[in-house]
Amino acid sequence: MIPLTKRSTRRLETTLVSYSRQSLPRPARLYSSPSKSAHAPAFATSVPQPEAPLPYLPPNLEREFSKTKEMATFLHERQSYTILPTPAPADSSDTNTMIFPDTALQNMVSIIEACVHNLYDVPRAKTVFEGLRRRHRCDPLLHGGLYNLLLDAYIEMASVKEVEKRSHWVEDACALFEVMENGKDKVTPTANTYAIMLRAWVLFNPSSHRLVASTVDMPTPIMLLRAMIDRQIPVALVVADRAIRTTKEASEAIKMLSKAAVDMNLGKVVNELGMAEALGSRAPDPLDNVPEATPVTRAKKQQQMQVTHAQDGSVTDFGVSETAVEVEHEVPFNLANLRKHLAQVILARRVLPEDVAARQKLLEESVYDVAVERLKHQAELFDEIGLTNKGLGNNDLRKWMWEWHQKLKVRLKAEIATLAVEESKLSDGRGIRLSPFLTLLKPEKLSLITILELMHLQGGAGASKVMKIARALLSVGRAVEIEYKAEMCKKNNITMPSNPARGGDHGYFSRLGYRDLHARRVAAAKYMEDAEEWTSDWSQIIRVKVGAFLVDLLMDVGTVVRTAVDRRTGETVSEEQPAFVHSYEYQRGHKLGVIKLNSIVAERIAKDTVRETLHPRHLPMLVKPKPWLGHDEGGYLYNKTSVMRYKESTEQQIYLRQASNLGNVELVYAALDVLSTTPWKINRDVFEVVLKVWNSGERFHKLPPAVYDQPEPQKPEDFDFDPKAKAIYITRQRAWYNDKANNHSDRCNVNYKVEIARTFLGDTFYLPHNVDFRGRAYPIPPHLNHIGDDLSRGLLKFGESKPLGERGLRWLKIHLSNLYGFDKASFNDRVAFVDQHLADIYDSAEKPLEGRRWWTTADDAWQCLAACIELRNALESGDPHAFESSLPVHQDGTCNGLQHYAALGGDDRGARQVNLDVTDKPSDVYTYVANMVEEQLVKDIEKGNPMAQLLSGKIARKIEKQLKDRLDIPVEECWLAANYLAKLVLHCIGDLFSAAKDIQNWLNTCARLIAKSIPPERLSDTLRPTPPSQKGRPAPEQTLYARMRKEQMTSVIWTTPLGLPIVQPYRQEKRKQIMTSLQSVFISDPNSPAMVNSQKQASAFPPNFVHSLDATHMMLTALECRTRNITFASVHDSYWTHAASVDDMSVIIRETFIGLHSSNVLQRLHEEFCERYKGYKVPLPSIRTMIPKLPRTANILQISDDKESRTLDEQAVEDLRLKAGGLPIEEEPEEVEEDQGEEEDEEEKPKKKKAKRGGKRVVSSELNLDDKFVNLTDLLPPVPKKGIFDVDRVKNSLYFFS
Amino acid sequence: MIQSRSRLRMNGVHISHPHSFLSGKSLGAGENKVVIEAYPGPGALSRALLRLPKSKIRKLIILESWDRFYQYLKPLEAVDPRVTVLPIDGYTWDSYSVIEEKGLLDDVMKHDWNAGIHPELHFIAQLPHGVYGEQFFSQLFRCMPTKSWLFKYGRVPMSLVLSQPMWDRGTAPYATNARCKVSVIAEATSQLQNAVRPSELQPYDDHFHPSTSRVVSKKAESKRAGQPHVAVNVVPHQDQLIRSDQLDHWDYVLRRLFVLKSTPLKNAMNSLAPGAPTLLKVLTDPELPPEERVNINDKIKNLTIKDWALIVRAFYNWPFSPEDLTFSNAEDFGPGREG
Repeated sequence: MIPLTKRSTRRLETTLVSYSRQSLPRPARLYSSPSKSAHAPAFATSVPQPEAPLPYLPPNLEREFSKTKEMATFLHERQSYTILPTPAPADSSDTNTMIFPDTALQNMVSIIEACVHNLYDVPRAKTVFEGLRRRHRCDPLLHGGLYNLLLDAYIEMASVKEVEKRSHWVEDACALFEVMENGKDKVTPTANTYAIMLRAWVLFNPSSHRLVASTVDMPTPIMLLRAMIDRQIPVALVVADRAIRTTKEASEAIKMLSKAAVDMNLGKVVNELGMAEALGSRAPDPLDNVPEATPVTRAKKQQQMQVTHAQDGSVTDFGVSETAVEVEHEVPFNLANLRKHLAQVILARRVLPEDVAARQKLLEESVYDVAVERLKHQAELFDEIGLTNKGLGNNDLRKWMWEWHQKLKVRLKAEIATLAVEESKLSDGRGIRLSPFLTLLKPEKLSLITILELMHLQGGAGASKVMKIARALLSVGRAVEIEYKAEMCKKNNITMPSNPARGGDHGYFSRLGYRDLHARRVAAAKYMEDAEEWTSDWSQIIRVKVGAFLVDLLMDVGTVVRTAVDRRTGETVSEEQPAFVHSYEYQRGHKLGVIKLNSIVAERIAKDTVRETLHPRHLPMLVKPKPWLGHDEGGYLYNKTSVMRYKESTEQQIYLRQASNLGNVELVYAALDVLSTTPWKINRDVFEVVLKVWNSGERFHKLPPAVYDQPEPQKPEDFDFDPKAKAIYITRQRAWYNDKANNHSDRCNVNYKVEIARTFLGDTFYLPHNVDFRGRAYPIPPHLNHIGDDLSRGLLKFGESKPLGERGLRWLKIHLSNLYGFDKASFNDRVAFVDQHLADIYDSAEKPLEGRRWWTTADDAWQCLAACIELRNALESGDPHAFESSLPVHQDGTCNGLQHYAALGGDDRGARQVNLDVTDKPSDVYTYVANMVEEQLVKDIEKGNPMAQLLSGKIARKIEKQLKDRLDIPVEECWLAANYLAKLVLHCIGDLFSAAKDIQNWLNTCARLIAKSIPPERLSDTLRPTPPSQKGRPAPEQTLYARMRKEQMTSVIWTTPLGLPIVQPYRQEKRKQIMTSLQSVFISDPNSPAMVNSQKQASAFPPNFVHSLDATHMMLTALECRTRNITFASVHDSYWTHAASVDDMSVIIRETFIGLHSSNVLQRLHEEFCERYKGYKVPLPSIRTMIPKLPRTANILQISDDKESRTLDEQAVEDLRLKAGGLPIEEEPEEVEEDQGEEEDEEEKPKKKKAKRGGKRVVSSELNLDDKFVNLTDLLPPVPKKGIFDVDRVKNSLYFFS
Repeated sequence: MIQSRSRLRMNGVHISHPHSFLSGKSLGAGENKVVIEAYPGPGALSRALLRLPKSKIRKLIILESWDRFYQYLKPLEAVDPRVTVLPIDGYTWDSYSVIEEKGLLDDVMKHDWNAGIHPELHFIAQLPHGVYGEQFFSQLFRCMPTKSWLFKYGRVPMSLVLSQPMWDRGTAPYATNARCKVSVIAEATSQLQNAVRPSELQPYDDHFHPSTSRVVSKKAESKRAGQPHVAVNVVPHQDQLIRSDQLDHWDYVLRRLFVLKSTPLKNAMNSLAPGAPTLLKVLTDPELPPEERVNINDKIKNLTIKDWALIVRAFYNWPFSPEDLTFSNAEDFGPGREG
């Protein structure tokens, strides 16, 4: 049995939170920028003989392609959509809290959980819980896990903390159990529930010496067993449950259940329990833990026990095979053994071997302990060498952090104790008490988390030297939450499922394979859920408050000593100053709270080692990441990670959870698992060069210098008299300071990379991945990953190697040529280019710093260096074809976004421009556009445009991407120049890709209509008569139009071919003020959605849609590569593999692209919209300005009049209006049409009709559209017509990806 | 280049105004004047100025970059030899170099700063409404401590027509809510005077162009943007409180602290820089004579000009004052234009 794959990532939320700089799609972009640039002109050095057609395609081409039939079928099938109701406006009465959680309620649940933790305040937890049960019975937030948590806490109270009140607590537990059992609260008991009650019986049964009052009616084992059997919960799971704390309790429990089973005459159960006992009495087979090679041994074991999975994959039954198991008596029964065996059976996959996982576990478990040790060690070291005298240049970051930590932990302890006392005096209001949350972790840990989190935030803060306070507080609060959850995960020593080597027996795309994938994932997810203690998600409010409490104290105790020279006396003075300061700034007209770092501290971050501030959730993993088992389960072993980076949108999360529950996204999980399990290593040769340069502190290529080396602009002589000179000087000086700050943050960035590379120098490691909301995959570790800059990429290579072979050597050369920037010529020319430069390449590889440094002139210098070294080593190895190469070779799409547009639209001309078509030589859009722009510039110069004058002749293909780097344009002119140029470029691109433009317009129109629509269930509320205000007129916010606007809550949602629902998050900003101990902060509450930002929904839709397509293409390719055992990594539209596998991957890339685009993507999107938004209505006033542009509007209105059943649903609307006291609708819809018909000349039909009914003409301005609704689906314009380009031709395009 | 952004330009200014700018009780009164006029609009004020005798005005240099007005003004040169009309923008510092390069100020002598106001040179402007006008207004004051721009000729008087709200901000006394950076710097650098009783310039539509009556506005006149207008005279102080090398420090301190204008000084100091609260000790040092101490319980907006001078001095002397006194969020301003 081959286990399945899943895995994913954690959310980068620490940094993302609400203010993330996450890659928002830039709506105005027509094309996605390639990950690398090249500016070598695309001149052909020689006229190439056409290369042998597709040299990389194996001869049995047809067969290869036929393999993908399954995939094609999969893509053609109707997708399963994930459809949920649209959120209702916040002020409406029928809020759908069943779907959108209520923040207040969420807070209360978190409080219960925090109070229960370590039995901190169970009575209070109980009070709150009972209150919630009364008010919010059946709310999904009152999760079964919460009930179990309380049940367990009651029993613990009875047995440990309040023994004298034992009877009360047991009675409470029994009552709660009763509620769960009879289903009143729609909460279903689980194995955990029964285990708790079984344990209660073990502890307090009448024959134990811990009697409870006889009035307490405890469920007996017989009752429990009956219930378990009714609910099909295997008894083995119950006795091995985490609620059973010791081996002794477990064996007691087994005994009691066995007795009950005998009494009830249930042979099968007796057998099963015997089996469990037997399993527990056997040490796990050590061979079992050896990664790959022992399927036979394990298979045998599994024969002994059979698991029945329900359709959703949950375990319904265990069967024991007929033969009795031989029990190895020398091993005593042990609960841990039992759990381990069960895990293997249930997970239906190999678990992660302990020893392999050990380092990763250690890494994730002990991060804060290790950090403390390191800091302490460092501080002691300084003490020893006598460096502690205050102010003697002893500004080491670690020493400071240690000092702050020493002070902060003591302070925290005292403050938390005080707070607890104060809060206990509060009346029992619904306010949030902080103390339970602050006691979840020890003060030592809280202190360290606060310090490290702030330092880390600052380290990554970029050019601005300030942190926004809301973001900082949220990060700290979230770090506490994550750490607490990690502790809970670790508590039960859960066995981790591991990844399969290949994609399952049936492939990814067959029905059977898909179902198999789903069942296995669900089983594993269920196991993890049962085994981990349940934890609730904290609301933003709690995070902010916890963060504020901690940060406030840190700012109070964190100080540094600074020295400076007094300019009057010339004396050196020193002063103790705060390390962090809270202040306010105006940014874009808003007053913002910020945290500033003392400049002396900020300086050190760029210099000192920053390893301590890195949490393992910022680092690559040493073992294969946990497969993605659910939307928040996967990636790191213990750090809860979300599979999607949400943009502060609960809606996205809910959709994903739903899709996951429905089993719609198995392949997304699978593809992420593929990406996450690609092994990596540090390229040691490159690392050594980097380190040498880094330590020298000099500016080198793109490595920033330790000390900023650009001269400060000179103050002009006439500075004081000439305001003009002064203005220029100040602008330049500001730019200089800005650059200096950027240099600083660059330095910090590189510092992290070097530090991480050093840490992982000898290891094979993995980068867990998750997706953004468009489905694009990203590695979770933020600092060093293959998606990063040239330096990061240069530092990485694959963890496995493959012999080059002849073709591989050729691809390695082409790769090198591409990296150098010579990437516009034919492949033969590129190879020739490398052959001509062999001397340079050797020189670069052998004397990277001392030699001629040819590689530093490359576009991607560090990667080029890596390639030089690899190529030299291969050529020098004696047999280059047998050389084991592990360098990733890239295949990049030519303007991938435009490629997708061209394929969608069948656009012949566009397709040629972006290499979809067969050509001898790659075509290069950028150069093409640059030429168009240059032509335009010449025209503008003739018109006397000074800006055109300035820019003329400076348009290289590159400049379209970045103007700022051009040094020959004065800083003060940049802004205007960029503006001007952007207009030109966009204009030219629009001209070139007219089909893309049509599709964009279509997407845009659809999105605009959707964003204006109102779901059918809200229609009656929308039209409900508004109570007149005192003056007798409705208040402005209550007019019908205002109401309609408020009801426009529909976001654009679509499903990718892999089943991922994509929800655009753009809504009106709605922030809540939260008072914290530091200041009041405004944060958005993702739980209460506001009306959509229709403009953003519309403008962002085209790029988001195309990104969702390129993400799908990438994932299909990843899955195919895994199926064919090809190592794969990707940077969005740049696909990487071993040089030897490039030919194979090239075939796959083309197959998947063709597969994707022959599935009629746009038509399917249209169909989805029609189904998803069925019954949604668009109020006409909202689209007044759009009507002339909607070719079909007129018809719709027309038709709707002819038929009895009006599309407008007017009958209903009219009724409502009548009830509301309004006037009945009198105007006839076709009048609208007539008016519009005049504006829209090309519409012939309406004109005819007009003639027929000419007599009824009504002047348009009198027309009242105010209360008319049209079906959204009728308004959606038809899909743009496809052009003549046949996507199958991609099969033979050489340069499609190259 | 930046297109002219003044949306409100003036039309008819009361005929007595040139008088109230150049004669009588005006701070800038004098004879034989060389007047530079920026933003003349269609030129009502210019024409009024030209009606004054030659003994009063010897030269009038008009700056107008908007072509339609320029075309309308240019003919004045033919009518009166005293006039030069230049198609350049009064907002741009470059324009004043152009005036000099053309030799138009060759006959203007530099006048000793301490010998009273400049007897000849006079600057008149009708400030455009909006962010550029505001910026121009505040920068006029900032040229005084460094004696740059026209002030290199000496204490050149200025007469301005500007919106009441802008003027209110510039003249807001301490302990009022309108007190802000501009009012502190204005108070530190110059003497300000209403040239005409404000009521004489109302209602707006009778005096200014474009008239607003076509646009139906229900707002009270006092609430409309940029209305009403006032005419004022401004003359630099002889004793400049702001040392020319400390202008940046003033800017920095005022800007930072006015973020928290209703917070007591002692609590706001953190905004200045990390560790800045140590300056509180300097400001309240019991060794100092009482007049050199600052009441640190005062709210920022309640600080007097003398308090500010003391705070800036302490900040300037502080060894740890930040090196970079400019503001990092430069992108907020678009093209650099602060002078």
